[in-house]
Amino acid sequence: MFVTVMENKQRLFMLSLSRWIRTPVGSRLCRFASHLHRPSPTTSDTKNARIMRILGKRVQERTQLSSQLSEEMSSAADISRLKQLKESEPLQAAWDEWIRIRELLEETNALLEDSDEAMRALAVEEHQSLNKSLTELVETTVPALLIPPSTTSHLSAMLELKSGVGGSESSLFLANLLRMYLRLANVRRWQASVVSQNENDGGGIKDAIVEVKGEGAYDALRWESGVHRVQRVPATEASGRVHTSTVAAIVLPLMEETGTTEELFNMDDVKVEVMRSRGAGGQHVNKTESAVRLTHVPTGITVSMQDERSQHQNRRRAFTVLRSRLMDQKIMREIAERRATRQNLVRTADRSEKIRTYNYAQERVTDHRIGLTLKNLSSVLEGDGLEDFIGALQKDHAETVLEDMLSDA
Amino acid sequence: MASKLFATLAASLGPAQASLEFKWMIQQSPKLQHLTDMVTRRSRGEPLQYILGESLVLSKSPNLLTSIPGSQPFGPLNLLTRPPVLIPRPETEHWVIKLADRLSASSAQPKSLLDLGTGSGCIPLLLCHLLPQGSLRAHGVDISTHALQLATDNATLCAIPPESTSKNTFTVSLGNFLSPSFPDDAKINLPYDIITSNPPYIPWDEYLQLPRSVTAYEDPKALFGGPTGLDFYHAIARLVRRKHFLRPGAIVALEVGHGQAQAVERIMRLDAHMRDTEIWSDPWGKERTVLAHL
Ligand SMILES: C[S@@+](CC[C@H](N)C(=O)[O-])C[C@H]1O[C@@H](n2cnc3c(N)ncnc32)[C@H](O)[C@@H]1O
Repeated sequence: MFVTVMENKQRLFMLSLSRWIRTPVGSRLCRFASHLHRPSPTTSDTKNARIMRILGKRVQERTQLSSQLSEEMSSAADISRLKQLKESEPLQAAWDEWIRIRELLEETNALLEDSDEAMRALAVEEHQSLNKSLTELVETTVPALLIPPSTTSHLSAMLELKSGVGGSESSLFLANLLRMYLRLANVRRWQASVVSQNENDGGGIKDAIVEVKGEGAYDALRWESGVHRVQRVPATEASGRVHTSTVAAIVLPLMEETGTTEELFNMDDVKVEVMRSRGAGGQHVNKTESAVRLTHVPTGITVSMQDERSQHQNRRRAFTVLRSRLMDQKIMREIAERRATRQNLVRTADRSEKIRTYNYAQERVTDHRIGLTLKNLSSVLEGDGLEDFIGALQKDHAETVLEDMLSDA
Repeated sequence: MASKLFATLAASLGPAQASLEFKWMIQQSPKLQHLTDMVTRRSRGEPLQYILGESLVLSKSPNLLTSIPGSQPFGPLNLLTRPPVLIPRPETEHWVIKLADRLSASSAQPKSLLDLGTGSGCIPLLLCHLLPQGSLRAHGVDISTHALQLATDNATLCAIPPESTSKNTFTVSLGNFLSPSFPDDAKINLPYDIITSNPPYIPWDEYLQLPRSVTAYEDPKALFGGPTGLDFYHAIARLVRRKHFLRPGAIVALEVGHGQAQAVERIMRLDAHMRDTEIWSDPWGKERTVLAHL
């Protein structure tokens, strides 16, 4: 007798499960359309509630969009609507999933009070697993879908390194960093080339510019902008005292000559100067004299380039650097404007900020922005550990973007 | 060892120029033997442009080094250089790019161009490269067979054919444009829409002052322009004022030496009967190019 009751209840439970799994998307949406405007009542976590509210809004927009489709589905507006619908399919799927899990949770809730102990145990287990799926959905899957795709993901990067405090030691550390970035590029299959580099008389490199070409190079490297600090005993230091020196990194979007970036500057605003005098010049002189300096008068940006053997090549390189710096200013301006209108805290993009410390004695590297410490300095310098930082920084950025979105919601 | 080589180079060029050139040499070949050879040649005064060349890295045997041509970037082109043919200068690169901008504005029909004293072929080759394909038929004459050979090699290197209906073309022939029998003996097809020339323009007294890297390696015939340096401009004026030498609307573009622009402008106006003359300055602020219209 007892056995039969339990079996019945269990069967009922399984039935309800399979029913939910098999219900087509459309009918589930109709049935629970009332959820659309309601924030989640069961979760006390308001952040998650806000995430789902945004998702709900998007799904509602989607429903509206599909109701606007004409019978024939052939007009230009239809095509753009269909495209948008296609693009937002994952949002709909996530929403459906959320509804499904919550519904199952409600049913399981009822069984938690069941008089039968085995039934209750089963329900507890089921409840836990459903809760886990729900958390995963709300905290990971949905945010990833909501964050708008990066508008800079196609851009290559231009990395500028400049030695800072610490004299020769800073130049030596710059050479270490340069190697680290070249290795990373190699691992990521980006094409990296050092377009300009000035050696330091006492060893090391005073400054360098590297072009890093490849999909996602800018998005990955942009978080490297800022002051990198090294703490170690310099090879040249006899007393064994630890020195602190710095190198500044600036990562810009690489703007090559494409014709589409014409609006970044007006040619009349750029003063082009040659560096040294050539005496009579022309046939009288066959010395290689190729250094060039550009000044963008409105912004005061100057770019000097001398690493190539011809005027023309240096000029082209210098214009690429100028374009990249102007593009960077534009991106920074846009970020600042967004921040001003939002009135909230987006992490500052201040380049004079110390972002990372490389401590040789303790074999550790700390990123001060996200408070992440890796106890494997050599792995960072070989490029692998750097990947961990970049991954963490990109994740952190995504969270900031999400926060932004939530405070708007 | 490398630092000793650098010191040698710095002693003859100064540290700033030496560090640039040393870097280019290392890019060319980091092998000590090659570096030693390059530094030795350079310190003896040989122009860098004859030493550094794309093809050098390919050479397996160091003995071949001297016989392999050097190179010099010229606009987006990389041209071979070979003594004693004049190395293309940055001033020339600058005005030729500017001329290309000027010419491409008006390219309805294919234009014919004559380059007098073509040397490495740098002027017509760069124009062929920069102007829309099929819009230019260029011809270069030179008195030096070394120059003609190099210009032909450069055309091959830059993939500019001597004949084509769809592409820009470049041909060369031997000729002496100071001679009264020019152009009849130079196998050229009159009339022309564009005349370009960077003729020898160094006057006698200045020739004696030239640095060794110029006089010891580059052809005197490519440099010496007569007692005042203006001989070749007078010859060009005599040519272009001949009937049927130029097509109506033709352009003449001439590189000039420092301080010669006004005199050459006058020659073009008064002797050659050209009008709408212009003087262009080079990036170092020297008047470098005289442009004249028919
Ligand atoms: C200053 S170089 C210019 C070479 C090349 N056009 C350039 O810009 O680099 C002058 C050239 O004119 C050639 N030349 C000198 N006298 C000549 C003449 N009488 N007839 C034809 N070519 C001559 C020389 O051989 C030399 O190649």
